[in-house]
Amino acid sequence: MEMRNENIDIPKPIKSPSTIKIIWRELVRDKLALVSLIFLVLITAFVYGIALFLDKSEIVTVDLFAINEPPGGEFILGTDYGGRDIFGQLIIGTRNSLSVAILVTLMTGVIGVVYGLVSGYIGGTVDNIMMRILDFFLILPFLMIVIVFVAIVPKYTVFSFSLIMTAFLWMGIARMIRSKALQEKELDYAQASRTLGSSNLKVMFRQVLPNISSLIIVTMTLNLAANIGLESGLSFLGFGFPESTPSLGTLLGYARNPQTLEFRWWIWVPAAVLILVLMLSVNNVGQALKRATDARQRRG
Amino acid sequence: MGFLEIKDLKVHFPIRAGLFNRVVGHVKAVDGVSFTIEEGKTYGLVGESGSGKTTTGRAIIGLNDVTSGSITYEGKSALGKNKSILNTHKDVQMIFQDPYSSLNPKKRVLDIIAEPLRNYENLSKQEVRRRVEELLDKVGLSPESIFKYPHEFSGGQRQRIGVARAIALKPKLIIADEPVSALDVSVQAQVLNFMQDLQKELNLTYLFIGHDLGVIKHLCDNIAIMYKGRYVEQGTKADIFNNPQHIYTKRLIAAIPDIEPANRAKQLKYRQEVQAEYEHASDEYFDNEGLAYGLQPISDTHLVALPEKG
Repeated sequence: MEMRNENIDIPKPIKSPSTIKIIWRELVRDKLALVSLIFLVLITAFVYGIALFLDKSEIVTVDLFAINEPPGGEFILGTDYGGRDIFGQLIIGTRNSLSVAILVTLMTGVIGVVYGLVSGYIGGTVDNIMMRILDFFLILPFLMIVIVFVAIVPKYTVFSFSLIMTAFLWMGIARMIRSKALQEKELDYAQASRTLGSSNLKVMFRQVLPNISSLIIVTMTLNLAANIGLESGLSFLGFGFPESTPSLGTLLGYARNPQTLEFRWWIWVPAAVLILVLMLSVNNVGQALKRATDARQRRG
Repeated sequence: MGFLEIKDLKVHFPIRAGLFNRVVGHVKAVDGVSFTIEEGKTYGLVGESGSGKTTTGRAIIGLNDVTSGSITYEGKSALGKNKSILNTHKDVQMIFQDPYSSLNPKKRVLDIIAEPLRNYENLSKQEVRRRVEELLDKVGLSPESIFKYPHEFSGGQRQRIGVARAIALKPKLIIADEPVSALDVSVQAQVLNFMQDLQKELNLTYLFIGHDLGVIKHLCDNIAIMYKGRYVEQGTKADIFNNPQHIYTKRLIAAIPDIEPANRAKQLKYRQEVQAEYEHASDEYFDNEGLAYGLQPISDTHLVALPEKG
């Protein structure tokens, strides 16, 4: 047939770039995002690496002979009112905060994507009921319930705290995925897939899901930044981790003491700066990803 | 007798309005359509936009819910959602109108064409790949394209991928919903001829939905004209093109452009005759609501929607 000849004659067309290449090009073009990404990778590797060698019980043990020591000397970043090493707490705290943020982002992501996809794809009455359940979660007073949970749950771990946060943070992504699923399921490729004998589950997760993956990645990255802030905020208010489990929020929480706030800056400034820089960096990377998914906004 | 029978098919869509989303009326997209499909033939379904031709095709394959009527496939009902419907799906496939949106942009050609095979046939990875390469060869694409994405192909090539996917399960009937209307004219002929070649090779039956009478004339043995959800005329190609009875059919045929300058005067005269007939006699062909009447046979093969005599 003539088509076959055509395929041999024409030299191989230039391949259009893959998604990963587009994202990479966008990151390289946006220097701020690239620096942010490198910083994030370095700090994550550093924090998780060093934390392996630090003895957590030793760091959180009260040492009355070394109270409120300024930086320098035996302790690089000084000590707090219990004589605990700030540097060690900062490392373990950053690790805990990052772990919570990543866990919460992943869990809310999975729950939100599955819930939104099922709701939007099936539609009709099922969609209606599922959305009303979601609305119910949306109107619950988040802060109040977290306070109650903190009172009830006797022993806090990174995981249990992540679970509590996840329970109240999956709705936003679920809503967004639902609206996208409503659009995608009407497109010809999803309909075609049904005529080819694919079950609804297959159409949902094999056909529709890959088409909304870029949206999921962007949203989850931006959520990660928000979750770092949220965890720190809760711990700062005293409803997050106890002092025995340091996090960026608990370190910042020492600043509620006016004495600490005014005269012992070394206790809270490093944590505050770290929160700020971490959130900014994640946000920068997220914005670059967002631009990469929309051809009109791309810079690269 | 035909292997697929459609009797009094109705597809109505509810119109919802008001505070409580009450159903205030229905759009009668398909309103009492009956026909039989015999193996190996090509059927044409023609009509203007919104006449319900696409809805009819989609109802047969199960993408639209049927309000009433029956679809019988080899003596068994093909309505509802039980297991036997899945087997009907295996024998009835669809080629979609838009080759740009009917292929999943995130899937490689291999996965697109292999989808029906993976759903219905237990094949190993190598077997699937071999089958896909065979299919690509059959539709005239090089086997190296299996790792490409749909956007790397031209419109005509994409429609070929759509065809390859539709014939993957060796179906009996293919519903082709305006398969070439999104392609430019040179590619249209290419795809149509190749669909005809495939038909001979695989003994396929086509239900060809379209509005381009030239294309339909080129392809189909049997033609049905649809208007506002009802059939106005049904017959063989000769019946419809040489002996149109309904005013709507006449107008459609008069509207086919003819590039032969010698026929220009004749064509114009015919068009004016039809227009004159339409102006003074159009009421006789449609009922009070402006819909077509029931079909009356005027020969063995030719059915026309005319008011009952008397």
